Amino acid sequence: MHGEAMVIDTHKHNADTTDVFGFWLYIMSDCILFGCLFATFLVLHSTGMQGPALKNHLNLYDVLMETFFLLASNFTFCLALLNMNQSKLLKVQWWLLITFLLGAGFITMEVNEFIHLAIAGYRWDISAQASSFFTLVGTHGLHVSIGLLWILLMIIQLPIMKITQTTKRRMTYLGLFWNFLDIVWIFVFTIVYLMEAI
Amino acid sequence: MGYHEASNIDYGTGQKKLSIYVVGVVGCVLLTLIAFWVVMSSQLTKGQILAVIYAAACLQFLVQLLCFLRLNTQTEQGRINVMALIFTGVILLCIIMGSLWIMWNLHYNMMH
Repeated sequence: MHGEAMVIDTHKHNADTTDVFGFWLYIMSDCILFGCLFATFLVLHSTGMQGPALKNHLNLYDVLMETFFLLASNFTFCLALLNMNQSKLLKVQWWLLITFLLGAGFITMEVNEFIHLAIAGYRWDISAQASSFFTLVGTHGLHVSIGLLWILLMIIQLPIMKITQTTKRRMTYLGLFWNFLDIVWIFVFTIVYLMEAI
Repeated sequence: MGYHEASNIDYGTGQKKLSIYVVGVVGCVLLTLIAFWVVMSSQLTKGQILAVIYAAACLQFLVQLLCFLRLNTQTEQGRINVMALIFTGVILLCIIMGSLWIMWNLHYNMMH
């Protein structure tokens, strides 16, 4: 009986590991999506600039704030994972809530920035380079928004399903996704914002 | 396999430790500040600024991979994850460098 249970347990473990690897492959394919958007952005910004320049509308202090919002939310999510492993449900929810608020701060600043750019005349339909800028940064923002929705779902789901193997696996997925978004943001602020501002 | 071992499987994402996360976040904050400060103060030439911000970005990328994603080659799963990452890196290099190379050449030939 005990041996049987162990076989089932090991089997489930292997299935879970395969699932997480599948999610990792999804993230890798998402990297390629972002890679294509970065390539488009770089091509359109290096040859024959036409239309208004992004440089005149940039506020690097805002970008720095956004960066810290995302970095802090990344850290608080890691704290949630730590508490998840120690089975402290309330603390996990607490850190997830802080992660959500920090992420929401990031999105709010980004939407504000887009609105200000549009008012200042740097609209997405004004030139090819403006389109590539809004597509790249917007796709990242969309990913963060979906991540926020996912965090909210986990906050609601955790007290119902409790800390089990299943919810732990889901938190692992979310952790990979959320860290990945912060990694993409490193390249967004370096290639898009800092390079434009030089 | 004991229950406690089974309940904290890492799925190839490494051990969770507070000290590593703190090191990661401090490293990222420093590298971010260096990159922004170099651009904002702009006392260097354009080439030097580019070199610094790209170096900072690559270092921060590594710090995030090691400290937050906890990529490692300790377990079989970890090694497979790293292999997938390297493969993705090769494809990204082809897409981004290839696009820039082709378009730059095209631009050059149109102008000269």
